[in-house]
Amino acid sequence: MRDPGFMVQDQANETAPDPRARDVEVQLTRAGLGFARRLGDRAGGLLFDRLLRILEARHPRAFTALGELPDARLLIDPVDAPAALLLRVGPGLALRVCDRTAEAEATVRGPCARLLDLLEGRIDGDALFFRRELSIEGDTALILALRNTLDGEEMDLFGDVAAAAGPLRHALPVARRNAGRALDLLATARRFAPPPVRWGMAVLERRLIGPRQGA
Amino acid sequence: MGSFELICPAGNPAALRAAVDAGADAVYLGFRDETNARNFPGLNFSRPELAEAIAYAHARSVQVFVAINTYPQAGNLAPWQRAVDDAAQLKADAVILADLGLLAYAAKHHPDLRLHLSVQASAANAEAIRLYREAFGVRRVVLPRVLTVPEIARLNAEVDVETEVFVFGGLCPMAEGRCSLSSYATGLSPNKQGVCSPASHVRYEPRGEALASRLGGFTINVFGAGEPAGYPTLCKGRFVPGGGTSRDPAYLFEEPTSLNALALLPELKAAKVCALKIEGRQRGKAYIAAVVGAYRRALDAFERGLPVPALDLEAMVEGGAQTTGAYTRAWR
Repeated sequence: MRDPGFMVQDQANETAPDPRARDVEVQLTRAGLGFARRLGDRAGGLLFDRLLRILEARHPRAFTALGELPDARLLIDPVDAPAALLLRVGPGLALRVCDRTAEAEATVRGPCARLLDLLEGRIDGDALFFRRELSIEGDTALILALRNTLDGEEMDLFGDVAAAAGPLRHALPVARRNAGRALDLLATARRFAPPPVRWGMAVLERRLIGPRQGA
Repeated sequence: MGSFELICPAGNPAALRAAVDAGADAVYLGFRDETNARNFPGLNFSRPELAEAIAYAHARSVQVFVAINTYPQAGNLAPWQRAVDDAAQLKADAVILADLGLLAYAAKHHPDLRLHLSVQASAANAEAIRLYREAFGVRRVVLPRVLTVPEIARLNAEVDVETEVFVFGGLCPMAEGRCSLSSYATGLSPNKQGVCSPASHVRYEPRGEALASRLGGFTINVFGAGEPAGYPTLCKGRFVPGGGTSRDPAYLFEEPTSLNALALLPELKAAKVCALKIEGRQRGKAYIAAVVGAYRRALDAFERGLPVPALDLEAMVEGGAQTTGAYTRAWR
C-alpha cells in the first residue's frame, strides 16, 4: 500500500549495460548452457572447470570465501534457459550443468538476464526478490553468503573470460560498443535472405539456445 | 547551518567504492563479526579491508564511520573493545556505539576518537542525549525513526549535539533494532549477535503462485501471486488477531514498505538536522549506487535552491512501497 503522504514520483532505475550487447550475452549464455548439456558430464565438466579457474584467477578473494563455506550444493536455475547449473561450494568447489530438478541444499530461480545481472552486481538481489523476479528455496543463509560474496566483486563474466583468451580482451569492448549496429545488420540480412536460409538460421538458433521454458 | 551530510551504507569494499563514487559524504560500515548489527553471511569488513576502505575514502575526502553497535555480554567484552581499538588505530573518522560501557571504554582509551551514538541506543529525548554528551563526549546522535519532524526540531533546540536521521531504506519500528520478536522466534538476537531474522532461520516456500516466508518455524507471511514481497521480519508479518479464523491476516505492526523522506528536506533543514542517513548495509552495490547517486543529486539541487529532482527508486524498495514514516504520521 502506498503511503498517501508520499509525494515524490519515482520510476524504475537500475545500472545496466548497453541493452543490445547485454541481449547478445544473455543469448550466448543460454546457448552455452545448451551446448554444455549436449557435451555431457565429462566434457561439459572440463569446460566449467576451466571457467571456474579463469574466474578464480581474477577474483581470488571471492573464491577463497566460497571455498571456506560448508560443503553444500546450490541450484542456479535460469528459468528461460535449456539447463540449470549446480554450484558446489566448500572445499570441493565445482560448477556443473544439470537438470533443473537436481537435488540441492538451496535453489535460486530467475530469468537468465537477471541472474547474469546479479552475478555481475548490476542489480540488487533484494530488489529482485521484492518484485518476485527472483525466487529462492532451501538454505537462505547459503544463498545470502553467495550473493554477498559475489556482490563484493567487480565481476564481468564476458570480460573476465575474454581477458583469459588474450586477443579477445581487446575485441570485446569494441563488440559491445557496436552490438546494436551488428544486430541491425544481421536482422536486415535475415529479412532479405531467401526462405530456406531464414529457416536454417532459425533451426540453428533453436539448436544453440534450446527451447525456452513455457515455449 | 551548513549543508546536510549524506551518510551512506557499505556492506563490503565494492559497496564502499560505489557509495564514495556516487557522492557520499561519509560511509558507515562494520567488522565481520557480532560487534555490528548487520552480522550477515558474506557481509562486512576484515581489518585489512577496512584499512583499504579508509584509504580509498580519505583520498576522496569521504569519511568512514565504524558501527560497533551491538551490546557486549557479560564475560565477553574483548571483541567489542578490540573493534573500538582497531577502528581508532586504522583512523576511522568516528565509531558508532550504543552500549554505555563501550562508550565509557572508547572515551577513556581513545579520547580523540569521535563518538556517535547509534540508533540502536534509541535516545529519543533531550535528557538522554545530554547524558551521553556529558558522560562520554558523544558528538552526534542518530535519532530513532519514531520521532515526528516537529519533535526533532524541539529536541535539536534543547541539545548541543549534532543529530543524524534516516531518510531512506528499511524501517525498524521495534524500538530501533532491540527486537525481542526476532530473538523469540530464532534464539538469536539483533542486540547480541547482530542478526535480525538470521538467514539460517529463514525459509521461503512456494505455495502454488504464492510465496510463504517462514522464520524459526513460524509462517509469518504469505504473498499472493504477483504481490510484492518484503523481508522475513516478524514486525512486517501478517497475522490473524486473537488467533481467530474469521478475519484475513493483516499487518499488525508495520507493512513491508521503505522510508523515503526526500519530500521533507525543507522541514529537516528547518529542524536543524545535521546529517541524512541511508539504510541498507545488507543491500547490493547496485542499490548503493542508485540510492546514493539519486540522493546526492537531490541534495545538491536542494542546497542550491533548485527544484529537487524526482527519485526513481521504486524498483529498489521493500514491498514496492515508500513512506515518510513517523516523521509525518503518528503511527506510534
